[in-house]
Amino acid sequence: MEENRAVTAYRQALRVLPPPLRQRALSVSQEEQERAEEVRLRVGRPLSLVLPWGERWLEGNPVTGRDLEQLVELASGASFHAVADQVRRGYLTVAGGHRIGLCGSAVLREGEVQGLRNLSSADLRIARQLPGAGEGVLERLCREGRLESTLILAPPGLGKTTLLRDLIRRVSQGEGCHPLRVALADERGEVAALYRGVPQLEVGPRTDVMEGCPKAQGLMLLLRAMNPQVLAVDEITAPEDVAALRTAVGCGVTLLATAHGRDREDLERRELYRPLLREGMFQKLVRILRRGDGRQYEVEELGR
Amino acid sequence: MIRLMGALFIAAGSAWLGFGAAGRLGARTRTLEELAEGLSRMARELELDQPPLEQLLERLIPGSRGAARTLFAGCQAALDHLEEEPFARAWERLVESEPLLNKEGQACLLPLGQVLGRCGWEEERRALDCAAQRLEQEAGRAREERLRMGRVYQVLGLSGGAFLVILLL
Repeated sequence: MEENRAVTAYRQALRVLPPPLRQRALSVSQEEQERAEEVRLRVGRPLSLVLPWGERWLEGNPVTGRDLEQLVELASGASFHAVADQVRRGYLTVAGGHRIGLCGSAVLREGEVQGLRNLSSADLRIARQLPGAGEGVLERLCREGRLESTLILAPPGLGKTTLLRDLIRRVSQGEGCHPLRVALADERGEVAALYRGVPQLEVGPRTDVMEGCPKAQGLMLLLRAMNPQVLAVDEITAPEDVAALRTAVGCGVTLLATAHGRDREDLERRELYRPLLREGMFQKLVRILRRGDGRQYEVEELGR
Repeated sequence: MIRLMGALFIAAGSAWLGFGAAGRLGARTRTLEELAEGLSRMARELELDQPPLEQLLERLIPGSRGAARTLFAGCQAALDHLEEEPFARAWERLVESEPLLNKEGQACLLPLGQVLGRCGWEEERRALDCAAQRLEQEAGRAREERLRMGRVYQVLGLSGGAFLVILLL
């Protein structure tokens, strides 16, 4: 079932490729379709697949600039204007939550990137959810069936966003705790991957998503507009984010957030994160550790 | 009797040709006005909330008239076949298939194919405003031509018919 889902996700992602390239990408083996993480298009080079064991070039004509233009047209539904903000942030999200990163010559206005011209390469990242990532974790984050404010901590690439998404889904569904209304400030669209207003990744039935808005502003908007019981945010990176979370705590909202770091000591050393611990904004800390091929989640009590 | 009937037919045919030519001038004016109005609405909607083209066309079609409605409906259909035909080419095909648009009218619309769906909304809006303005100017010229030439065609049709009838009788 999991394998079929992986192949379905791969084939769904390929829908944005121009037909000749799609045919080439579909000609790979079932195993490669299941395991492919990215499809790479570089002008003047053949199409390639990024697999866990390396990049594989697919035989055929090299990718052309016109192919990349058609990719953007298919991905945006001939509506570049509707995805221009996403492209400025470096990628665009398509149906299924798959993402297309784009490269080319940047068009600058007053020092800010306004868009891209003469596209040179594209990276189609295949979205695959891990719905069971948070299994056994949520229960440890609850006191008397009620979720406590939790900070997920790990270095990049260990699955903070994946765990956050699954916890949001579980809390929103009431899977392992009392169901709660969750508001998610998803600045980069990585958690829910909204596509035409619909989350492409499962975040639960009681979740409201604000995408594309700077985190601090998004948190305050959600707090005022959506009356959340839980406020979720991926990657606290600025003092304004901390200030917004402080306000939320003052309103009695439970927090679910992630931050880059190894452990509690690492957080205490950094000025940005110190207030999170000192002011008791979070009661639980989840550390993600790599164990062989898998992940281990360690839950630590932060106190009040 | 037969000669009289033949003469009447010739007179009616000639008048029909004259009135038809005058009518086409009127229809051309209407087409240009409808398209100008449609593009202006498109620019306004785009400015409002920059919806994807599919949604934009869905909103525009119900309130559009004549040629604009046909053009927008054609664009909507083209969005379902982007794999086979890029939008820019579909736009060109749709514009060129509008029978009442002359070269000047087409020249107002064709450049939009390279902008719609491929640029930021501000650039699209500027291009739409510019095309709408040029179409209005064309419509103004077409109105003048209709006033000037419409009567001429009608009179020519009637007098040409009368002349032939006189010759035949």
